[in-house]
Amino acid sequence: MNRLLKNVSLVLVLCLLFAALPAGMAEGAVDPDLTCTITLGNWPADTAPEAEKALFEGYKATMARLYPNVTLVPDYYSYTLSNYVPMAKGNTAPSIFQPPFTDPQLLISQHLVGDVTDALEAYGVLDKFSPSYVEMLADENGRIYGLPRDGYVLGMHINIDLFRQAGLIDEEGLPIYPKTLQEMAEYGQIIREKTGKAGLVFPASETYGGWLFTNIAWNFGCVGDSALEYQDEDGRWVCNFTSPECVKAMEFMRDLKWKYDILNADATTTDWAGAHSLLGTGEAAMNFAADDSVDQPTANKGLPVEDFALIPFPAGEAGRYALAGGTCYMFAPNITKDQGIALMAYLQVIGKLPFLNDEIIAGMRADYAAKRDRGAPVLPAISAWTDEEYNAAKQAIVDEYCNVDMRLYRDFFDSLSEGTITLKSEEPVFAQQLYRELTAVIQRMITREGADVMKALQKAQDSFQEYLDDEINDY
Amino acid sequence: MDGKSTRARRRGKTGENIKSWLIMLPGLLLMTFFVWEPLFESIRMSLYKTRNVELVRYIGLDNFISVMSKDDFLQALTNTFTYTFWSLLIGFGLPILLALLIGETRRGKGFFRTAAYLPNMLPGLAVIILWSAFFSGEKSGVLNILLGRLGVPPQSYLTNYRLVIPIIIVIATWKGAGATALIYMAGMSGINAELYEAAAIDGATVWQRVVHILLPAIRKLAGTLLILQIISVFQIMYEPMVLTKGGPDNASLSLMQLMWQYAFGGSMNYGKASAVAVIVTVILLLMTAVYSYFNRKESDWD
Repeated sequence: MNRLLKNVSLVLVLCLLFAALPAGMAEGAVDPDLTCTITLGNWPADTAPEAEKALFEGYKATMARLYPNVTLVPDYYSYTLSNYVPMAKGNTAPSIFQPPFTDPQLLISQHLVGDVTDALEAYGVLDKFSPSYVEMLADENGRIYGLPRDGYVLGMHINIDLFRQAGLIDEEGLPIYPKTLQEMAEYGQIIREKTGKAGLVFPASETYGGWLFTNIAWNFGCVGDSALEYQDEDGRWVCNFTSPECVKAMEFMRDLKWKYDILNADATTTDWAGAHSLLGTGEAAMNFAADDSVDQPTANKGLPVEDFALIPFPAGEAGRYALAGGTCYMFAPNITKDQGIALMAYLQVIGKLPFLNDEIIAGMRADYAAKRDRGAPVLPAISAWTDEEYNAAKQAIVDEYCNVDMRLYRDFFDSLSEGTITLKSEEPVFAQQLYRELTAVIQRMITREGADVMKALQKAQDSFQEYLDDEINDY
Repeated sequence: MDGKSTRARRRGKTGENIKSWLIMLPGLLLMTFFVWEPLFESIRMSLYKTRNVELVRYIGLDNFISVMSKDDFLQALTNTFTYTFWSLLIGFGLPILLALLIGETRRGKGFFRTAAYLPNMLPGLAVIILWSAFFSGEKSGVLNILLGRLGVPPQSYLTNYRLVIPIIIVIATWKGAGATALIYMAGMSGINAELYEAAAIDGATVWQRVVHILLPAIRKLAGTLLILQIISVFQIMYEPMVLTKGGPDNASLSLMQLMWQYAFGGSMNYGKASAVAVIVTVILLLMTAVYSYFNRKESDWD
């Protein structure tokens, strides 16, 4: 009897152990006795909402239970290129951090990030993210240095209250929103006249202006042979800001200020956060922004979710493109193989790898519940993973916690699912520098009436071409 | 006897020298590691093609040529001199005036002294953010609200390429003038009171006392503070960086900001950033040398 009891107990313990292991994980990927220390960037600061802090403490407890010899060191570090380089060179960068999609290739080429190919392979997730992500996160030898966290698509945030005041509302109470850039200019004018507020907030400081302008330029035809930068037959990168399409797009930018007068007054000093603030506080009616920042004007700046809508990026005369970007996880250049494995285990626990188990689902639920409690819209996430089961499970949780009238978002998500908008990733090389050059041109256009578009674009083109020659073509 | 005493004197001198060197040692070590080493490293880096902070290959003066041939360098250089000009125009006389007024105050001198110094105690970024709300061109900008009460429509300030540098200097002066005024007050307190009394007996007006006693007495101090102010303004960075990011269209871009952009603004070109830093150092050394030359000449004449 005693022996039977012992055997039953052993079977039960084994069952419990296997239940604790995340489903779908490659067998033997993580040794439970794995011993190492990992530093986790982007840990919620002391000032973060309690729900968020509790969520991460929960992750920490789960890690401690599953891998007792892995020491987690929380780090409040938030990535910027300028603060990361000295840390990486001084071996003080956190083991894991989160750069935007614009930076991986630069970091990889400068040997500033760690190779996690083996850890990803051990986990069996390499085939689960789309080839475009692999391309972005790998070097020329196919070694991989990161994995996608989530994606976003650029659209437009709408302050419905200002649309209502301007009479741009239909019989169902939904905003009559601009489908084209031309309509955007005209509606912006109506809003300015009727409410005295800016029709469009355009953050044209530092690199933001150029970043948004690239999407406008694509819609004016700056793609293919007229792309803002391309590789010629000799493989040299060529800057192409003076194409007729780009000139037209920049003239449109100039008109937004001097012909339609729809821009916010301090556009050249407005940054990303400032733009959200102006929309959220009712100082501007439209803002080019993505689905991943819907919490900014609402939860952070107090705009009620019922007065907020997300619409597709307005079409231009040559097409309808929307910038698809996102954030990824990357790793310190000096991480060891064990640390790589431990970090994958951590990502799995926080539900960022495409695996599912009860714990991960509970984690996702807690995440969306925290969002809803903060007053942020809970929307379908644009997944960076191709795993259908994982995406469906996530969507089911989103549906459960959804706190918005989906009619205010439907066209945005339909444009993605029905393919009525073409998704395009950022310009391929040295995007930040390209944005900086274009931002300077935009600033000239909107602060000097009658500024010469061609002359300013030519100057920016020469400058960026010199940069391309220096950094790639003649390196 | 003589030989012995000389040796003893020498031993004593050597002992004193060792003590002096030991006293200086911590300072020298700190200077070596935190000032001289980075300075020389930066000069070395400016002569190399770099991959982030690694030196790839020696390229001589190519970084300097590349940096100086670009329009934004010329713009940043011009802007930096413009900053200096406005700083001298707005900010050089003000601390002297403040010191004079506080010095002449009979009651509440301590209060005014503290009040003048208070902006200097506030964190720099907080000051900038405060002023950015004041000079915001949006309708919600504080200055626009005040002007609105007088019936003036909203104006643009930080996005106006003609106004942006003077506004930044006004802000920097607001923050720094009080501290400089305190130094002037210390200098003024050293002036012999009998001179004032004698002048008063001779019937000199306040203006005459200022021109003939006070200003000559603080001339040397003013000269030193002038060169320090030029050096400081020449390195202006965080004010335009936070307020305008160098815009609009590089209208407020300073040399130090250009250096930052090369290093951290997306290109990670530390070689070119170092070249800009070396150029700034050379310009400042030249200006200091010119000042020292004239200052010495003046001393010789005295």
